[in-house]
Amino acid sequence: MKGFASKAIHGASIKKDLQGALRFPLYDSVAFEFDSSRDIELAFEGKKPAHAYSRITNPTVEDFEQKIRLVSDAFGVVAVSSGMAAITEVILALAETGSNIITSPFLFGNTISLFTKTFKRWGLEVRYADMTDPLSIDKAINDRTRLIFLETITNPQLEVANFADITAIAGKHNVPVVVDGTLTTPYLFRSKDAGIALEIISTTKYITGGATSIGGVIIDNGVFDWRKNPGLSSDAIKVGPAALVMRLRREIHRNVGSCMSPHNAWLQALGLETVALRIDKSSANALAVAQFLHTQKKVMLVNYPGLLSNTFHDNANRQFSGKFGGILTFELKSKEECFRFMDSLTLVRRATNINDNKTLIIHPASTIFTDYTVDDRERMRVNDRLIRLSVGIEDLEDIVEDFQHGLDKL
Amino acid sequence: MEIKVNGELKQIVNDSIAVPGILKLFNVEAPDMVSVQLNGEFLDRKNFDSTLIKEKDEIEFLYFMGGGK
Repeated sequence: MKGFASKAIHGASIKKDLQGALRFPLYDSVAFEFDSSRDIELAFEGKKPAHAYSRITNPTVEDFEQKIRLVSDAFGVVAVSSGMAAITEVILALAETGSNIITSPFLFGNTISLFTKTFKRWGLEVRYADMTDPLSIDKAINDRTRLIFLETITNPQLEVANFADITAIAGKHNVPVVVDGTLTTPYLFRSKDAGIALEIISTTKYITGGATSIGGVIIDNGVFDWRKNPGLSSDAIKVGPAALVMRLRREIHRNVGSCMSPHNAWLQALGLETVALRIDKSSANALAVAQFLHTQKKVMLVNYPGLLSNTFHDNANRQFSGKFGGILTFELKSKEECFRFMDSLTLVRRATNINDNKTLIIHPASTIFTDYTVDDRERMRVNDRLIRLSVGIEDLEDIVEDFQHGLDKL
Repeated sequence: MEIKVNGELKQIVNDSIAVPGILKLFNVEAPDMVSVQLNGEFLDRKNFDSTLIKEKDEIEFLYFMGGGK
């Protein structure tokens, strides 16, 4: 199998179902029984492939992990309870008190909060760099740097870096690059080919298949030598490329308890099967909506990497298989206009999620970024005039008609 | 020849056997997912076919369940 959709649909089933079920069953069980004490000992030693307890591994969750591994051509995958849990586990595995991470000021609001509030209290330093300026990243790195973290498309600024530049600098300093690929998924962006060490994804978004469940994955592409990370080096000498997966599975993931539920894994494995179709459709819809908004006099600004005039169009076009995803932003004259526009929509839903099948709209400054000062928001390019759209897979003419209706009310 | 598999001494009659043959000989479960450590060093999966097992070799089969290759 070569194609993404074929792999997503037919999966990488490692065990045949006892009843021959074509869809891998939902194993709703906390614990699993062993035939002998020696068997359970071997399982705990890692010398027998068996599930013992669903906080650590579960057959349905494993089936989803294996499908993600297959479509991303990765070394190993750990599924977790959310995208935020994925970021948390990665930081806990790679960084320690007194170390630092390099990141962009342009991040999802809760990710910024995690870095600058939660982890700051545990002594993690967050250093900011301009991910579109390699020199800025180079200057920020020192011998306490444990990783570089960025989003493949920043949310909601929609900035797209040149990943080859970043992995080149990271390689020079023996630092892994971690991307949040939620907006692109392995369908649009082949992070392994770009030399990215780890990709984390909020599978709650595109992959879930219609906002059915919360989840996340940590994808280890197997391209980084974990001996170069001080906290993993001794494990890497013993178990080679499996050092991070082992650290997660046998310590961080197990101890934190942020496991994906089997129900969510089942739903998300189903969603994965159609993700390519849905990304194609939402990308096409988003481009058409961006082009429509671009022609409207009441719209001050449209930001979508798919527009030829966009600063990041070339980076996105080259790195994301010629598709640009479903997220775009635009500006009206004021917060009041934004609210009036949003409240007049009848098809598009006001909700804080992205990459649903439904088109969703939100005013980021008064919601996701409400905990930040006006100055902070301006630095993050989240002003009061900004609206974020997550374009779904409805019929394009209905989406455009709803927006036209909203604009007519202004 | 005598080799050690997961810490136990084993006698095998084949003097020229590569890693896939060992996986089959010892009925190793989920061979697509197992990691193989030979004399303390992890083997790259792409070298399984070309790695011949020798007298006194120590082999460990390890699983990093739930996504580990």
